[in-house]
Amino acid sequence: MMNIASLDFGYGRSKLFDHLDLRLEGCRAYGLLGLNGAGKTSLLKLMAGALVPSSGTITAFGRVPAKREATGLADTAFVPEDPWLPPVKVDDYLARYAVFRPAFDYARFEALRRDFALVEDKSLQKLSYGQRKKFALAAALASGSRSILLDEPTNGLDIPSKMQFRKALAESIAPERVIVVSTHQVRDLESLIDPVLILDKGRLAFELGSDEMAQHLATARVSSLEGMQVVHAERDALGWNALVATSDAVGASSPPELRSADLEMVFNAALADGGRLKAAVAGQELGPYSEDSTAGRN
Amino acid sequence: MNAKTLERRFSMERVALLVRNRIHEEAPAVGIVAAIVLVNNLLSLWRTRQAFFNTPRFHGGAWIATIIVGGLFIAGSAFKSMHDGKTGTEWILLPATPLEKYAAAFLDIVVAFPIAASLGGIAMSAVLALIGRALGGAGGDLWLPLNVGSLEAWAYYAIAAAVFLAGSASFRKIPILKTVGVASVFGLVAVGLLMAGAWALFGGKNGTTMHTGHFIGDLNFDGSMVSERAQSAVRFLFDIARYAILPAFAILFGMAKVIEKEGRDEVQ
Repeated sequence: MMNIASLDFGYGRSKLFDHLDLRLEGCRAYGLLGLNGAGKTSLLKLMAGALVPSSGTITAFGRVPAKREATGLADTAFVPEDPWLPPVKVDDYLARYAVFRPAFDYARFEALRRDFALVEDKSLQKLSYGQRKKFALAAALASGSRSILLDEPTNGLDIPSKMQFRKALAESIAPERVIVVSTHQVRDLESLIDPVLILDKGRLAFELGSDEMAQHLATARVSSLEGMQVVHAERDALGWNALVATSDAVGASSPPELRSADLEMVFNAALADGGRLKAAVAGQELGPYSEDSTAGRN
Repeated sequence: MNAKTLERRFSMERVALLVRNRIHEEAPAVGIVAAIVLVNNLLSLWRTRQAFFNTPRFHGGAWIATIIVGGLFIAGSAFKSMHDGKTGTEWILLPATPLEKYAAAFLDIVVAFPIAASLGGIAMSAVLALIGRALGGAGGDLWLPLNVGSLEAWAYYAIAAAVFLAGSASFRKIPILKTVGVASVFGLVAVGLLMAGAWALFGGKNGTTMHTGHFIGDLNFDGSMVSERAQSAVRFLFDIARYAILPAFAILFGMAKVIEKEGRDEVQ
């Protein structure tokens, strides 16, 4: 549905993506994770057609976004982290901008507007950051587009709105739709994003599905890391919060209580202990864990 | 718009929607200018029983000049949203092709704005005449654009608008001043080259000179030329340059700039 092949892109002389390959299927909400500056927003813009690859190709539903054909643009909804909205009221916005999207679902927009408790009779530009964000998300989810690209969608949302957003996003998942969500707030969307794409050094470092994680990884709170195959561990006041290879943890002398793999831990593991994470996911035995490895880039 | 329209590579329906949106966006600023002119005229009515809008002096082209300056100002900032860090991405991703977005700006400035401003001028003139008569004055003459404007003036305006649109598409900051600067330099160089060429071909011996009134004005010859035919040839080349090459270059350049624009966040 969306295919990225040998993508090169950068700003000036600094290269952001170096032969990035990625294939995205429908019926999923992909979580795009990466450090600040890893290129998450740029990748979303490349997928949308706002940026043009230096080399390589991106195709979305058989179209090249960079060509900016009206069909492709109408089939794509991109919500930036801080969305800009014109100085018009909701009805004028629909009349002037939604009209460019024949698949726009006005009934769904109305429903989302109610769910998000959007202010009605006010210029969109005068809305608070959270209100603007909710409006942009509602418009994107009602756009009827098959590519929905959301950059940090939960930033600025209040707690009830986050819940509404999760519900709305879950309802938007469809076989003929690719949803990509870039986020640092993984816990907001932990139950929704699957698989997780982790960008590092211009490449796709990991693509991990929830099944894969459930099968191979778990999080455990332990006082000692001894006797466990630890993928990654973070020390805190109470001991260790460890991401462990599931089979090994069960076989430990005193099995800790296992929780499903915490996405933040997985992300940190990907960056600090990438080799161990790869081995764990492949079901390979891990060597002894050294505390020093936690003093990596994080 | 429907799915069938969406499939078209170029849709006049989308262009019309874009023009409508541009008019909505420009309306407040144009309205303020019109309101200022109206208030000034009402003051003039109150003092002299006649609005200066309806005087022969004003009919000399002041409102036409206002339309032209206003139109070129709008042209000079037509792609401001495209360059802005926040609005740029929204602008680029609005479902219409870059060509349609450029066409909409061109049609808005070259066709819609002069027509709307002219109709506004007629309406204002009529209202002021009625008020003037109601106050016991003469009311003055009704302002009609065709009495003061001409097709040729509109053509010059369209060419200049294309140049300013190209400037707006190229320059992110102070596009109007930069366009004026670049156009002046190009104009001077072009006229210099033309005059040097003409002097080399026809001048010297017969002391021929030639000059232009302004960058798209008439080409005048003073002194004796080698032949009428040579003069006609130079005039023909000059007309080709100003009526065909200049607008074609400006339009294609402006379009290319809109097509290649990217939604980058960092300072460019």
